[in-house]
Amino acid sequence: MTWPASIQQIIDEFQEIDDQFERLEVLMDFSTEVDELPVESWNESNLVRGCQSIAHIEIEIRENEVWLKAAADAKMVQGLQGILSLAVNGSSPESVLQLTPEFAEEAGILVSLTPSRSNGFRTMFDMVQDRIREAIK
Amino acid sequence: MKQDFPIFSREVNGRPLVYLDNAATTQKPSCVIDAMSNYYSSSNANVHRAVHTLAGEATEGYEECRKLLKKRFNSDFAVITSGTTEAINLAARAWGEYNLQPGDAVVLTEMEHHSDIVPWQMLAERIAIELRFVPVENGELDMNALDVALEGAKLVCVVHTSNVLGIRNPIEQIISKSKLVGARILIDAAQAVPHEEIDFKGLGADFLAFSAHKMCGPTGIGALLISEHAFSEMKPFMGGGDMIETVTLEGSTYQSNEHKFEAGTPRIAEGFGWAAALEWISKIDLESHHKRLLQIARDVSEQLTAKGMTVYSSLNPGDAAVVSFTHPTIHPEDFARLLDAQGIAVRTGHHCAQPLMEKLGVNGTIRASFYLYNDDSDAEIFLSGIDRVLEAMA
Repeated sequence: MTWPASIQQIIDEFQEIDDQFERLEVLMDFSTEVDELPVESWNESNLVRGCQSIAHIEIEIRENEVWLKAAADAKMVQGLQGILSLAVNGSSPESVLQLTPEFAEEAGILVSLTPSRSNGFRTMFDMVQDRIREAIK
Repeated sequence: MKQDFPIFSREVNGRPLVYLDNAATTQKPSCVIDAMSNYYSSSNANVHRAVHTLAGEATEGYEECRKLLKKRFNSDFAVITSGTTEAINLAARAWGEYNLQPGDAVVLTEMEHHSDIVPWQMLAERIAIELRFVPVENGELDMNALDVALEGAKLVCVVHTSNVLGIRNPIEQIISKSKLVGARILIDAAQAVPHEEIDFKGLGADFLAFSAHKMCGPTGIGALLISEHAFSEMKPFMGGGDMIETVTLEGSTYQSNEHKFEAGTPRIAEGFGWAAALEWISKIDLESHHKRLLQIARDVSEQLTAKGMTVYSSLNPGDAAVVSFTHPTIHPEDFARLLDAQGIAVRTGHHCAQPLMEKLGVNGTIRASFYLYNDDSDAEIFLSGIDRVLEAMA
């Protein structure tokens, strides 16, 4: 599958790592890529439901560009939010809606994208797209 | 013992599997896998009805599971269910609905698994029973509060051994106190039957619910043991094939034995598998393994405490070998994923016991639970794995 350059770069970075432990360390490094949503802004409407950790995501569309603010108490979940931020920030709403979450599997970040209590990535990805749809309708 | 379990020949993330999520489910020995496979390849047929040879073999194999259950746990009645959850729901529906009146008190505890809370809450919605929860203080049931809660109670539902903390409740004492007030007693024994020999009649409870998969049997099958008195007070709640005696368009009559609570085609292959597991486990000295595993868990607990973790399990004699812990800053989910990357399987989260988590003041814990096939080397690898996580997160 052909991915936008920002996502392809992430896939390449992860695919170079053989060791799963190191891969997770790199994933946690991505947590710094998040434009952090301050704790005082955490509320029910930006809460990611179904995630084992506490995670919040807000979407802003400025001059036809999507910008994400997020935070999580688990570093790996915030790492996933960092990757999501790199994938969507600065893109048009339409191009974000074209994205599919499979790049996380392709990069080997996640074994499965099946929604479950142990995997908030799919939930967060769907939430970003849902919020964009709501904002542009 | 690991050679009996094919799964231990595999690697996870390039490392030998260290499986410490036994309180969630246990691994299966070859005899269980073979029994299920042999049923499908040689005896597959429906049970209880047809006269042909395969049907006879299937019926015999499936009913062998019930026979072994009654023998192992000393019970006159064993209804086969999909697991502990269905067993408790069955008690709520088939006994609770017909024997409890609006306003009747049902005693539960804050230590219960959701499976022993939600069915009673649902029953309370239907017939307005009163639910009383015995509090947990310092990780143990408040026995003085139990005395108060028992006043006028009609039913007491209590977990034998906590899935979160591994704590074994003073179940004999709870049963004798409950009997004094004339209450029926249901025991959630999901975490108890894997670790200790249980004599159902000797205990004197009315219901005992448990699952096969926590004692090396298959998933999707469990049992509700029922006392003679309680059995006589129950009515079927699920209708269909296999549970009837006669059916006419005007009405039906039901079987008199356990089959009246087992409508539809049962879990036949799982019955074969569970029978094999029960035979396999009957050759194991559970008591000596339990002592060995408890000692491993205590050593692990001591090391975790020394490494800065908070351990919530007491690991007293009789408790299950479960070490539930948290780190002051590392999120349980991060911890578990980094352990998994090293081939180590542990559980994180609220362990289906949110009220207890609230009482402990945490959102979730990391839980390492040990079973028969675990040994000192698993504990060593686990502790080394912990060190690597601490180093990475420093």
